[in-house]
Amino acid sequence: MKVFVGMSGGVDSSVSAALLVEQGYDVTGVYMKNWSKDLPGMKCPWAEDLADAKRVAVKLGIPFEVWDFEEAYREKVVEYMLTEFKKGNTPNPDVMCNQEIKFKLFYEKAMERGADFIATGHYARVSLDEPCLMRAVDENKDQTYFLYRISDEALAHTIFPIGEMLKPDVKKLAEEKGLHNAYKKESMGVCFVGEVGMKDFLKEYIDVKPGEIREVETEKILGYHEGAIFYTIGQRHGLYISGNKGEINDGMPYYVVKKDLPKNIVYVSKNLNHEAIWTKELKLKDVFLRTGPTVAFLQSSSSSMSGTQVTSPVHETEMLVRLRHRAPLIPVKFDGETLYFEHEIKRPASGQSAVLYDGEVCLGGGIIA
Amino acid sequence: MIYLDHAAATPVGSRVLEAMEPYFLRDFFNPSAAYLPAKKVAADYEKAKGSIAHAIGAKTSDIIITAGATEANNLAFTSLALDGSCLYLTIEHDSVRKIAEQHNGQGIKVLSNGVIDLDDLKTKITDSTELISVALVNNEIGVIQPLAEIAAIIREIKIDRLKRGIKKQLLLHSDASQALNLLDINVARLGTDLLTLNAAKVYGPKGVGALYVSHDARLKPLTYGGGQENGLRSGTENVPSVIGFAKAVELAKEHLNGNRKKYASWRKILLSELQGYELINKKHVLDNFVVLCYNGLDAERLIYLLEDREVYVSTGAACAASKGQKSHVLKAIGLSDEQIAGSLRLTFGEANNEEQIHEAAQIINEVVTNEKRRLGR
Repeated sequence: MKVFVGMSGGVDSSVSAALLVEQGYDVTGVYMKNWSKDLPGMKCPWAEDLADAKRVAVKLGIPFEVWDFEEAYREKVVEYMLTEFKKGNTPNPDVMCNQEIKFKLFYEKAMERGADFIATGHYARVSLDEPCLMRAVDENKDQTYFLYRISDEALAHTIFPIGEMLKPDVKKLAEEKGLHNAYKKESMGVCFVGEVGMKDFLKEYIDVKPGEIREVETEKILGYHEGAIFYTIGQRHGLYISGNKGEINDGMPYYVVKKDLPKNIVYVSKNLNHEAIWTKELKLKDVFLRTGPTVAFLQSSSSSMSGTQVTSPVHETEMLVRLRHRAPLIPVKFDGETLYFEHEIKRPASGQSAVLYDGEVCLGGGIIA
Repeated sequence: MIYLDHAAATPVGSRVLEAMEPYFLRDFFNPSAAYLPAKKVAADYEKAKGSIAHAIGAKTSDIIITAGATEANNLAFTSLALDGSCLYLTIEHDSVRKIAEQHNGQGIKVLSNGVIDLDDLKTKITDSTELISVALVNNEIGVIQPLAEIAAIIREIKIDRLKRGIKKQLLLHSDASQALNLLDINVARLGTDLLTLNAAKVYGPKGVGALYVSHDARLKPLTYGGGQENGLRSGTENVPSVIGFAKAVELAKEHLNGNRKKYASWRKILLSELQGYELINKKHVLDNFVVLCYNGLDAERLIYLLEDREVYVSTGAACAASKGQKSHVLKAIGLSDEQIAGSLRLTFGEANNEEQIHEAAQIINEVVTNEKRRLGR
């Protein structure tokens, strides 16, 4: 059985490759070169990551290749990200990278090269009979939040070798196997976001202009911001009002409640109960439901369901939703377009994903509108 | 451990470390301070600079201490006037190439043995050329350049310029970082106006180097401040490192001939005991540089496999390798991509003995055989 495993140089993908070798697969390690550009004052660590990945491959005695996806990454992930930020949203590049690069281009190329499977070092599980994406055993590391949009076809040919393991055990195994990078710090997936920080990255690519920060209730100018796109609704940090970080004389913090992008004004409020911050409903766009498991879920739990139409109202059916990576799972009802919560939740940034689960099974999700 | 990467770094010699030690705790004073103990430190510092200068046939006042060879190379290029142009050997280290590119520098070709193409040099020198930079010993293949011949060409051009009433300067700069160990360097004999030295390549401390500046060269400072180093390199003197640098240079001089003989014999041992390679640097090379090509193999894989056996080698310049770049040096001497991918650089030195050289040859042979077996060859 031929497997191409994505190796980033980090401990998770290194151990994944080692496990595959141990299990007797015909393994080829691949470094996906998605981004290599340095930004002013910041060195992109791609060459070091590549060297780390290669060293592990050599120690495992497996062939190693570099697949260059820089152009596609720029087009599909970076452009998408910049467009969304310009619209005032807060996109998630990792979700897009998995959908467009790792589980599409990487998968397709591996298949062309005669692969039976691809593998990555994600914390997730796949049950192959359906195929069905499931949460990792290590609840703290589960990465299905970033994987909910990958195609069934790719998933059916994917192995997540460490999905059943706990992170501390992965690290321990790396040390036992003498994989040198057991001490290396976590790789962030998207190198420039990890090392540079999103704000510095955006500054390089989007021409941002400073503007006013106004109090929403009074229209009073409280201060000035570096660029409206850097702010998300509900955020309390980074408001340089009267020289304080989000606080004014009485010590009460301000929260972003509205952005007027054409006028480049950020509106804030001291009212933590402001309607912009809290909601019981969330509208989703670009909904992507994982056909197999979703159908099974709806058939078993909804009387109003007929056949296999997955977009029918399922208002009565309760599932779980995750609104941020590592955020707690919240019970929710979903009609194919809108999430309905029992209690008010703090509104997540638009552009982020809401990912749905039935127990351990990932049902899919959508982008918060 | 068998360390075969002396071109990347050398261990600090024990006598060097010993010489440096007092200047960290006891004689820590700022040499510019007024009291007597500080004046003594200033005198020691000048003496150290003097012995570095004498080692290359120069005067103390000709030496500008820098924080390593990169800074010295960059400083050399400040001699260029705004409208002046420069030439550099295509196989120069990045610390010359990058600064030369900033000044629209043009590359001079090398022959397939890595030696400068003097005809190409002659055709590329124009009336606006002010600076020519050619390393005495290349850091990747150890090729020694005929600096005196280059200097002779430059001298003729200078005379010709004078005849035609052209006042423009024409300076020869050479990065001698790799050369100081094994070559008897004399700036007058070489005919260089600017010469870069590096302590870290001669068993001295890292982060200290020097630029020899002849009276013909006028430099501009890279940093401004207290006016140290003839006003060209402000900043409190790095006394312990310079003391160590001087000691290292002194020891290098002392062992020059013995080391050359030793390294020449080790090179012979390696070349006769290793199997299945193509020798890349055949002639005009420093004796401690061996560049081998294992056609069809991936030298990076060999590095990691050798690392497992505690044999440390490299593919080329350490700084280029860490950026994932293919060697521009090996490309310039006409190697194919496949040859470049299969090339290893072994540079031996004081961390080695003859027994290690035999052992290294055996280990490298084993690793190469295993790698060929993995590939089914």
